[in-house]
Parts: sequence; C-alpha cells; structure tokens
Amino acid sequence: VVLRPGEDLNLPNAVITRIIKGALPDGVNISKEARSAISRAASVFVLYATSCANNFAMKGKRKTLNASDVLSAMEEMEFQRFVTPLKEALEAYRREQKGKKEASEQKKKDKDKKTDSEEPDKSRDEDNDEDEERLEEEEQNEEEEVDN
Amino acid sequence: MAAAAAGSGTPREEEGPGGEAVAPPPQAPTGAPGARLSRLPLARVKALVKADPDVTLAGQEAIFILARAAELFVETIAKDAYCCAQQGKRKTLQRRDLDNAIEAVDEFAFLEGTLD
Repeated sequence: VVLRPGEDLNLPNAVITRIIKGALPDGVNISKEARSAISRAASVFVLYATSCANNFAMKGKRKTLNASDVLSAMEEMEFQRFVTPLKEALEAYRREQKGKKEASEQKKKDKDKKTDSEEPDKSRDEDNDEDEERLEEEEQNEEEEVDN
Repeated sequence: MAAAAAGSGTPREEEGPGGEAVAPPPQAPTGAPGARLSRLPLARVKALVKADPDVTLAGQEAIFILARAAELFVETIAKDAYCCAQQGKRKTLQRRDLDNAIEAVDEFAFLEGTLD
C-alpha cells in the first residue's frame, strides 16, 4: 500500500486533530509531526481496509463493496473490537437515510399531486442499485474535491 | 471523558417525522455530543476507495462504514501512542510515541514502512 505523492488522499487535519483530542485526556497535546503521521496512518488504514473488503466482495462474486464486506475486513485485520460500534453506526445511518428518503418522497408527493408515472418500487430497499451509481455522481456529499 | 468537553453543544438533528426535515450531511448521530465535528468527510474517504484499481464500485454504506472505522482507528492509535508518552511523563504526543505503538501493537503492523 503506497501513498503516491501528488494525490490528495489526505484526510482533513482539523477533523483528525479533533478526533485525537477527543480520545485523549484533557491537557494532552499532540505534536504536528505526530498528528500528521496519524493522519497518514488513517489513510493507509482506509486503503488497506478497502483492499481487504474488496477481497470479500470478489469472493461473493459482487462488484460492489458493501457494508458487510467492510465489517468482514475489520475482523480480518484484527480490529474485531470495531465491529460492534460499526454495526450500531450502520443501523443509525440506515435509519437516517430512510428518514431522508421518506422526507424527499413526501416532498415529491406534495409537488406533483397527480404523479402516477413515478415508479413506486424505487424505494424497495436501501441497498438498491442507486447506491452503486452514487460513487460516480455525488448527490448528497458536502465537498467534491476529488481530482482524478 | 474528554469527548464531552470537546463538544460544541450544538444539538444534533434527528430526522423529523417526515416533512420539513432538514437533511444533515450523511453522518450517523452516534457517539458523543458534538460528534458531527469529528466526522471524516465521505468525499475524501470515497477518493481513497477509488484510488484502489481493483475496486469497481462501492456502496454508500460501505463508504460510511469505512469513514467511521477510520475514526475509530484514529482514536485507537492515539490512545495507544499516549500510553507510550505517559511512560515518559510527557504531556505531548510525539512522533516517536506513534512509532513505538506501531512496533508494539500487532494490529498496527500493516503501518510499518508506510509513514515515512
């Protein structure tokens, strides 16, 4: 796993610093070098986890990485202790996404009262094909700084 | 814990019961208050995932879980590094504390040679 210079695969310093400070007792500081190294480590972690998760997806003959692939990767990487909090986070995330979907569908209903052409089965489950496309077309993301 | 002190005090928005729900960015409302400030932006995580040539597609949930896992990882490695600093009775985490943690902890072995 190599981070090639020139690619901005860094995670924002401010967020990394906040997470570190949140994990440490009050009054403890972190040097710039240590923070920067932790940030790089986090990027390496994501790359490594992605690679592991992708192996599980391929084993399952799927082309799309899903959440359970990532959870399996955590176990393989010996970060089992992450699995429970991650599962909880996933539940909350799914509830939130469902709430958002319902909210926007409500808005749609309010807009076009005579909507009959809308396919009702677009909302069958959270894990439908729309998720795959989202990797290419960012709908909900806050920042789009990716320059491939 | 320190996390409570670091909180901004801004109440987290839960999704409304349908209607005028102001959709917050896709961040799970779990963990300490003010936790939204400690969330890695999904766009950056997505960029990392896309950097892997073997990955075809990744679902939104996968990206979210990876981001959350990375946050947990940062907490974990910071705490482990701090144990080393504590032995030196220092109050500032240094790079060498991190290196020591990487050497000492098996789960961090994948980091060896990658941070230079």
